[in-house]
Amino acid sequence: MVKAVAHLLNALQSSGLVQGYALFGPMAQMRYTEAVATLDADVLVAVAQPDRLDALSDIYAFCAARGYLPEGEAVRVGAWPVQFVPAFSTLTQEAMELAETADFEGVPLRVVGAAHLAVIALSVGRAKDFARVLALLESGSVTRPEIEQLAARHGLAAAWERFEGRFPLE
Amino acid sequence: MSDVKHLLERQAQWQPTRQALTWPEKVRMAEPERESILQLRRSGQVEAASARPTRTQSHFGRPK
Repeated sequence: MVKAVAHLLNALQSSGLVQGYALFGPMAQMRYTEAVATLDADVLVAVAQPDRLDALSDIYAFCAARGYLPEGEAVRVGAWPVQFVPAFSTLTQEAMELAETADFEGVPLRVVGAAHLAVIALSVGRAKDFARVLALLESGSVTRPEIEQLAARHGLAAAWERFEGRFPLE
Repeated sequence: MSDVKHLLERQAQWQPTRQALTWPEKVRMAEPERESILQLRRSGQVEAASARPTRTQSHFGRPK
């Protein structure tokens, strides 16, 4: 079913409604780590006016026209609710711009890289986000110096320091 | 104790193989997990709702 999500996202980008997109969150994390439990697929999107309250209404209309209807704050695509999140900071904009194009069962799918996934998780800072950072580190897809450097560039040096204090290198 | 150690060692050997699966395979693994979480949440909500007194009950005492 994620293949259907990939087709939808590529069509969305081709239509010009979004300038870019990239999968992030647990679904993206699974590219690098073990499978993890998640309830939805999170997608960063670049929209013309992200501050507008109805910034996502055109996207919802586009999805509805293809039979993918809104469900709460997401759009249901098969089994998966897909949540669109306008790129809301320089970190998420950069994460989207530097995303990698992965191959998902023959369909190209833009996905946020491991370092940006880790730093986005660090910026959110809940226990499950710290678990994501640890899982990414353990998978070897990103290193502590890479996270430190990226975090510092986005004003998250203190957050990284706190993380290192709580989860020191063993 | 040695059984537990052996079990943990086997688990440690097994975990990297799960990580080595392809991304689509891992997403497929997550799909039934998602269903399980939803079912657990639903059953939790049902239990919580049945354990809570209704507004009428709390207002007027026990139902007759």
